Amino acid sequence: MSLGATEPEKTAPAEGTWTIVNYWSEWCAPCRKEIPMFNKLNQQLAASNVTIVGVNFDEDSRDETLKIAKKMGVDFPTLTMEEVKLLNLKAPTVLPTTYILSPENEVVAKLLGEQSAEDMLKQLALLNLPVKTNQVSTKQTGN
Amino acid sequence: MKSLMSAGSMKVIFAFCIGLSVQTTTLFAGQTEIELITSPATANSSLSRVVADRKGRLYLSWVSQDGQMLSLNYSRLDKGNWSPPEVISTGDDWFKNWADFPFLSVNGDNMTALWLRKSAKGTYDYNVEASFYNPKEQRWGKAIKIHKDEISAEHGFVSMLPMNDDRTLITWLDGRETRGGYQAADGSQGKQDVAGAMTIRAGVFSQHGDTISEWVLDGSVCDCCQTSSAMSSLGPLVVYRNRTEDEIRDIYITRFIDGAWTAPAAIHNDDWKIAGCPVNGPSIAARGSQVAVAWFTAVDDIPQVKLAISTDNGASFSAPVMVADQNTVGRVGATILESGIIVVSWMGDATNKAKLMLSLYSPEGALLEHTKVAQSNASRRSGFPIIESIGNDVYVTWTDIEEQNQVKVAKVRYAAEPKHSGSE
Repeated sequence: MSLGATEPEKTAPAEGTWTIVNYWSEWCAPCRKEIPMFNKLNQQLAASNVTIVGVNFDEDSRDETLKIAKKMGVDFPTLTMEEVKLLNLKAPTVLPTTYILSPENEVVAKLLGEQSAEDMLKQLALLNLPVKTNQVSTKQTGN
Repeated sequence: MKSLMSAGSMKVIFAFCIGLSVQTTTLFAGQTEIELITSPATANSSLSRVVADRKGRLYLSWVSQDGQMLSLNYSRLDKGNWSPPEVISTGDDWFKNWADFPFLSVNGDNMTALWLRKSAKGTYDYNVEASFYNPKEQRWGKAIKIHKDEISAEHGFVSMLPMNDDRTLITWLDGRETRGGYQAADGSQGKQDVAGAMTIRAGVFSQHGDTISEWVLDGSVCDCCQTSSAMSSLGPLVVYRNRTEDEIRDIYITRFIDGAWTAPAAIHNDDWKIAGCPVNGPSIAARGSQVAVAWFTAVDDIPQVKLAISTDNGASFSAPVMVADQNTVGRVGATILESGIIVVSWMGDATNKAKLMLSLYSPEGALLEHTKVAQSNASRRSGFPIIESIGNDVYVTWTDIEEQNQVKVAKVRYAAEPKHSGSE
């Protein structure tokens, strides 16, 4: 999977990278609530081999998607529709939905609904991923 | 899922009628005839609905887009001819959403149209605005906000139901209590830093737009699913996706009986626990005391479409019938034919090539037929198909997004006596 065309400008993940794919929509209140958590987690994971990317569930045009992502304060890369197709993921039935993909792009976890930082770190720990956890303090509650 | 569709033959008919030309493509799937009717909506059209009046005339409403400007339009199909499209309202500050979109209701010579307008720039908040058609002056009235709160919050997912005396029942999701410091449905004052729940409210409006009555139907509902209403022989019925404290989001019904709304009750306890937005509301249809409710659920992440039937005006329901299992994205509709046969619309999930399906059931809930109406697209941009019946014919509208957004309309004519094909 190539993420070179994503914006905001980010370095494309290197080979061997695990990917967290977060489906969001601007009208989805729990999506908006968990974005700051993913922003913070993205910073915390910067030195690890786990990267976070977003998908606009509504499939708006690229320009519109980037406007919405900016409005929502999404700091991690947002995939283009072409990049989403390459992932071959089944479109979620619920928003937000978050996938964790192995370096081979296999789905190793599908997380439905709003996630907390603790939820995400727990999932990463279950996968035995080398992630620093002591700097993440974001606490999310139910929507 | 057992497929009962036959390949059938295809015949193309070009019919040019007085007024707008009507091009008809006819497909025969067994004894079921599907006519693709040229819609009066032009390119860059979407978010369409069909609704019938008491005289058996079909109305199509849709949204057209020109740059940032959106317009709500409608046209009437009368004896095979579409009337020239008319613009109801326009705006460059509307909230446009593939799941929550404008609504047209017809009540005799009166009409009511609804759309969503952003309440403040840069926010996710929007209001439900309505315009009421004055048949004497033959013009649409000034837009009014149907909910009386002045709170910038989400309001939408509207359904409308014509009533006696030219009145209209309007039901909507109301997010006023999701803001801190809200006045809760029970009259208590919320804390400034504590958000309340999404509520479902309903009001009866006069033909001039005056609010005659207003109620809170349920103080905690799912934030992002459509509502649906129908008229039984005892009065209005409203269905919606409920939300419990532990995030069970099943389909509930409330009925207006003897001047009051009944306590909300589950159609069926699916026990779907999800702290998120399914964006998949139920659909209800009624004919006399017969009621049908179709809905989507996804317990254990297994998507399903179900149907439950009532013969007592929605007081009780049958055990659900499985309409679609696993390969569906939901987006359901329901209608009851003059014969009492129930039709459920739903979308299959084939990633990019979803099928728009109609499933036919006997009044008792036995499967009669599955019919593929169109090869649509599971993309959100294809929106929610809407169905309406006139007599024993079903009209379907959806948005084709293959090249550019284009509203489509089909008429599905069933054999007079569909054969019972057994259940799945």
